[in-house]
Amino acid sequence: MNPLNRLDLYKQMVRIRQYESRILQEYHADKKPAWDIGAGLIPGEMHLSAGQEPSAVGVCANLKQGDAITAPHRPHHFALAHGVDMNAMTAEIYGRDTGLCRGKGGHMHLFDPENHFSCSGIIAQGYPVACGQAMAFKRKGTDHVAVAVAGEGAANQGAFHESLNLASLWKLPVIFVIEDNDWAISVPRSHSTANASNADRASGYGMPGVRIENNDVEAVFEAAGVAIDRARAGGGPSLIEIHTLRLWGHFEGDAQAYRGADLDTLDARDPIPLYAATLAEIGDLSMDQVASIAADAAAEVDAAITFATSSPFPTADDALLHVFA
Amino acid sequence: MHDVGVVGIVANPSSARDIRRLVADGAFVTTNDKINMVKRVLTGLHSVGVDRAISMTDLGGISAALADLANGPTSRAWPRVDFVDRDLSQSAADTTAAVEAMVAAGVGAIVVLGGDGTNGVVASACGDVPIASISTGTNNAFPRSAEPTVVGIAAGLVATGLLDADEVAARSKTLTVLSGRHRHRALVDVAITTHDTVASGAVWDSSTVREVFLCFAEPDRIGLSSIGAHLRTVRRADPVGLYLRLGTPAVAAVRVPLGPGLMADVDVAEFAEIPLGSTLTVRTPSGVVAVDGERAFRFGPSDAVTVSLAADGPRAIDVERAMELASARGVLTRTVGRPQQHQISHQQ
Ligand SMILES: Cc1ncc(C[n+]2csc(CCOP(=O)(O)OP(=O)(O)O)c2C)c(N)n1
Ligand SMILES: [Mg+2]
Repeated sequence: MNPLNRLDLYKQMVRIRQYESRILQEYHADKKPAWDIGAGLIPGEMHLSAGQEPSAVGVCANLKQGDAITAPHRPHHFALAHGVDMNAMTAEIYGRDTGLCRGKGGHMHLFDPENHFSCSGIIAQGYPVACGQAMAFKRKGTDHVAVAVAGEGAANQGAFHESLNLASLWKLPVIFVIEDNDWAISVPRSHSTANASNADRASGYGMPGVRIENNDVEAVFEAAGVAIDRARAGGGPSLIEIHTLRLWGHFEGDAQAYRGADLDTLDARDPIPLYAATLAEIGDLSMDQVASIAADAAAEVDAAITFATSSPFPTADDALLHVFA
Repeated sequence: MHDVGVVGIVANPSSARDIRRLVADGAFVTTNDKINMVKRVLTGLHSVGVDRAISMTDLGGISAALADLANGPTSRAWPRVDFVDRDLSQSAADTTAAVEAMVAAGVGAIVVLGGDGTNGVVASACGDVPIASISTGTNNAFPRSAEPTVVGIAAGLVATGLLDADEVAARSKTLTVLSGRHRHRALVDVAITTHDTVASGAVWDSSTVREVFLCFAEPDRIGLSSIGAHLRTVRRADPVGLYLRLGTPAVAAVRVPLGPGLMADVDVAEFAEIPLGSTLTVRTPSGVVAVDGERAFRFGPSDAVTVSLAADGPRAIDVERAMELASARGVLTRTVGRPQQHQISHQQ
């Protein structure tokens, strides 16, 4: 298990939040008309991960180069925490030729072979893919692991259940991560899921399952560390459900009229100021550091956006390039 | 004073989900298992004349399932089930508030499904009301394992007055930890560890433990208390607790089950009885205080930490003793016709 480095966890969460905050601004800046999601510099739907930083940061702090992640439609926090290049990812989101997929994928289709990172707009579909990656790692005799990420809504898809079954049967080095942010678009968990905890479902497939409450990055780090070590050592898959928080809408432009009183307490539940307060209390973080960490992150994000917006668009001639296998 | 035949039910929806399923072979107790246990408790309660149960509510699906079942056919063998209706925070505060409401409603006993942690929370609010505990957690020393139907019967016998609570529900000991604004109470153990974090709560690695304070130490239990039990057995009713300092130079080395399927060889540098009513000062300069196996708070060299043993805990119903008394006194035995003993003959 990697040693716990609280300041690194905090910095990474701040970096991700700065990123999502800037994308939020840029996305809306020139979306005219506002109801046309194809308009503006960032075309298409946009699912941002603000509030869910503890899950990505806590999990990825235990990974090493060569480990794989399959993320869902809300992928930025896992991409950044897993070391995907911020410039290339941003260029992809802006649909530019310098992007990870030469601008043809957009924000839900970030593919980075070097870092074994992928994501998909089809929910739960990263689960079987992660099983395949894990099977390759196992057959090659490496100690790499694959992390499959999905939301609590996606955990009701067939692909989720089929993957848990196969991974358990074949003892694959997979860590199934469920981000339970209480909502699947406008559907509350209580209206979609028979089990109060997906840890219960893990036991049905013969693997350990834990549920982490309170959106606590250190608790995620610790549980993921044990599960990942276990998978590396040949112990097979495990499931970690993280009770996290969707601070913003399902997608950008979501008015969240369905969300009711849940919205009133969001600020108090924001995991980043809460973690800053914890670190300040134990003397690991000063006010000056809070400011400088935020400034460093903002500068990095600025540079990535400048890189993206100054990159060329793919040309019409390239339309059919890299599209067919 | 309490009404005759009203029993409270506390079932922790989040027990048996923590990191012990990864670091040890902690059992899975699913929500459906817990619902099933509550059903068995209700049947037991009803069988001895309890006519009303008050259940806590939760967002984990237990109370919702119960409310649904209470209108169905199985509920014919149940007491009426009422619910503590309040806003939920999905934290231990829900349990505390529910228990307070049950006590105010005059329950004669409270059945608790959970681990050491859940029982500790109930203990903080139940006052003189006897509790009957069923283990659904992982690393438990306080609740013993018993069939929920029988626990329901025993709790029902106490609540209806068919058994005298003073005979079957002795007051438990507690350890109170004080340090600055921190105040915690343990039903089993207080451990001082060198952890750097309180993150995932559980204590599972004995090499991080420096000092242990125990309310009781029974050799058939798992967890930190088992370390003490193999040096000196301390029963729940004994007027002492046990203090252990771990490490070397060792005066003894013990091999104990520290968790489910998790054995540990532990060096003990010092051990001594703690008399009831006394207060000890923690000697480790800094670390984390764990209460009943859960890491609670960090402390440093400038923080004084004290631990006191008292007999001010909950009155815990001893199910085995309750059922033996019920049998000896024929509480559940209805004589039909002339009492006679039958000789059972086995035929091939
Ligand atoms: C197979 C499939 N069905 C439906 C959708 C439409 N859809 C996109 S996101 C979403 C909800 C996902 O909820 P959850 O898994 O909880 O993830 P969250 O958005 O909360 O992160 C749905 C139904 C889809 N993308 N894929
Ligand atoms: Mg969701």
